[in-house]
Amino acid sequence: MDIRERNEKLRIIHQDGGEQENILEILIDLQFASEEGYIDKETAALVAQELHMTETRVYEIVSYYAMLKEKPQAKFVLKVCNSSPCHFSRSEEVILSLEKKLGVPIGKTTDDGLFAYHYIPCVGACDIGPVVKIRDTVFGSLDDDKISSLIDNLRNGEVVV
Amino acid sequence: MALKEPVLLKRVEKMTDPTSVEEFTKYGGFDALKKAVIMDKEAILDELDTAHLRGRGGAAYPLGRKWRHLYGSQNTPKYIVCNADEGEPGTFKDKMLLEKDPLSVIEGMVIAGYVFGSNDGYIYIRGEYRHIQAVFHQAVRNARAAGYLGKNIMGIEGFDYDLHIISGGGAYVCGENSALLNSVEGKTGRPRVKPPHLADVGLYLKPTLVNNVESFACVSAVINMGGEAFLNLGTKDGGGTKLICLSGHIKNPGVYEVELGMPLDEILYSEEYGGGTSTGRPIKFIHFGGQSGPIGTSEQIKDRLYDYGDFWYNKLAIGSGAIVVMDTSVNAIDYMTSVMEFFVHESCGKCTPCRLGTTRLLELFKKFQRHGGKQGDIEKLEKMLEHITNLSACGLGQSVSVSARSALAGYRDEFEACIN
Ligand SMILES: Cc1cc2nc3c(=O)[nH]c(=O)nc-3n(C[C@H](O)[C@H](O)[C@H](O)COP(=O)(O)O)c2cc1C
Ligand code: SF4
Ligand code: FES
Repeated sequence: MDIRERNEKLRIIHQDGGEQENILEILIDLQFASEEGYIDKETAALVAQELHMTETRVYEIVSYYAMLKEKPQAKFVLKVCNSSPCHFSRSEEVILSLEKKLGVPIGKTTDDGLFAYHYIPCVGACDIGPVVKIRDTVFGSLDDDKISSLIDNLRNGEVVV
Repeated sequence: MALKEPVLLKRVEKMTDPTSVEEFTKYGGFDALKKAVIMDKEAILDELDTAHLRGRGGAAYPLGRKWRHLYGSQNTPKYIVCNADEGEPGTFKDKMLLEKDPLSVIEGMVIAGYVFGSNDGYIYIRGEYRHIQAVFHQAVRNARAAGYLGKNIMGIEGFDYDLHIISGGGAYVCGENSALLNSVEGKTGRPRVKPPHLADVGLYLKPTLVNNVESFACVSAVINMGGEAFLNLGTKDGGGTKLICLSGHIKNPGVYEVELGMPLDEILYSEEYGGGTSTGRPIKFIHFGGQSGPIGTSEQIKDRLYDYGDFWYNKLAIGSGAIVVMDTSVNAIDYMTSVMEFFVHESCGKCTPCRLGTTRLLELFKKFQRHGGKQGDIEKLEKMLEHITNLSACGLGQSVSVSARSALAGYRDEFEACIN
């Protein structure tokens, strides 16, 4: 990590006072700011040092909370809600459309490292199911056509998340 | 009869900037706080009792009773915590308040701060609501700048109270209040062993109040209109209005505010609300209150009032306000399989009966789905449900059986059809 990167991370860690209470917000912000969408070892060590906790405890937290990742992620991870309200609003068809469009099965990343998709539980957008969440943006009322154009637009940068 | 005047959503869509204190006060914001600080604290508790306000997070525990318990605790400091983890599938009403009228939640929390002489309030907002956390941060800054948070609030000497905003990390069990407190403390969010009660030993082992977002918004409404008027909006089994979330096979999904006691049929079928099913097929059943709530068959939901008492009497529950509508194309076994997938995913793993029980239950439902059930499997299912309910440490494990039992009661024939 170069000095600029380190300073940016320190800024995120201390933006709300740098208390242990803020650890989830800090880790999520660091993850969102990272290139590969995960908490790497160096970053975890920095958080541990700044918040005066052991690295083991930081890792315990990263592995416990579903939003935090220990491994590099695809650039766009499409999370398809599969809780009952969405499940019975055809969320399985979303998975089929994604498989057709991307050519990789659920849980695998495309060769170019751009896309992956998997199920997650309810994201609180049950009134517009089926839904896909990418980073902090929810796309609702999806069908085969909309998914196809969403992928195209993410690829060519017309949709930014 | 439809609600004449919204109570909880009265400012929503009216304000151009929901975080603006100026606009908030223009539409009656902080009136309740101004009233509260010149009231006797006992009188505030009396109003809350009279209002018969039940907690809106799911368990429907009378809020006045919970506040009295904390009020009676001699230990200090006391902490105020708002549960904004909203993770129950089919529930998205707290999101509306947090995003469209965050200052109303802040106002309720400041009133609590005043009543309990607390200096610190916490709001735990689910990690998936990141953009809402940003809105809330702005609302807190604005409230602080206007003197409604911070030192000597509204110029009252010694009324010092501020809010901390904590993010969740995507664990449903953190909505359980003791798990939530562990998570606030920067630990892994697993539930604590209870007793002790959180009003005695809560956040950092100090007396703590945990209430839902909508509950705090209701507190302001009670102070504004008086307990009696609030009670009269609802029924003797629970006063006020309730935010409901319609989803599933319903024509007009979304969040609505209704008076408790409204006919369920009106909610489901009138154009102003649900508008009937979205599929043209009739309703088969409704899942109320989230995954941990009961399922009501089309027979059971006929002629019901959306009221705590009428619902409980008929083995239903209001819970979080989720109303998930399923039409006749849905098989009860398929539905239960989907519900159980959720519990398997969200069990925190602390107790074996819940961790293994949810997995075994899912396996059994999948076996039923394949029509591979054997003689005695339904009885086995019933035993497993009893086991997990009795031996689980927290509300998650304890309520796994609620939907399954109601599905079994309503659609036993569909289960039997899966037995060879
Ligand atoms: C597994 C589980 C998840 C819960 N999730 C939430 C939630 O997301 N929001 C909430 O307000 N209450 C939730 N609750 C209920 C809380 O434990 C608690 O009863 C509630 O926050 C109290 O507030 P109230 O009395 O104002 O409803 C959950 C309970 C359990 C057992
Ligand atoms: S009942 Fe389940 S969710 Fe609750 S503490 Fe036990 S294992 Fe965790
Ligand atoms: S069930 Fe899919 S967003 Fe809530």
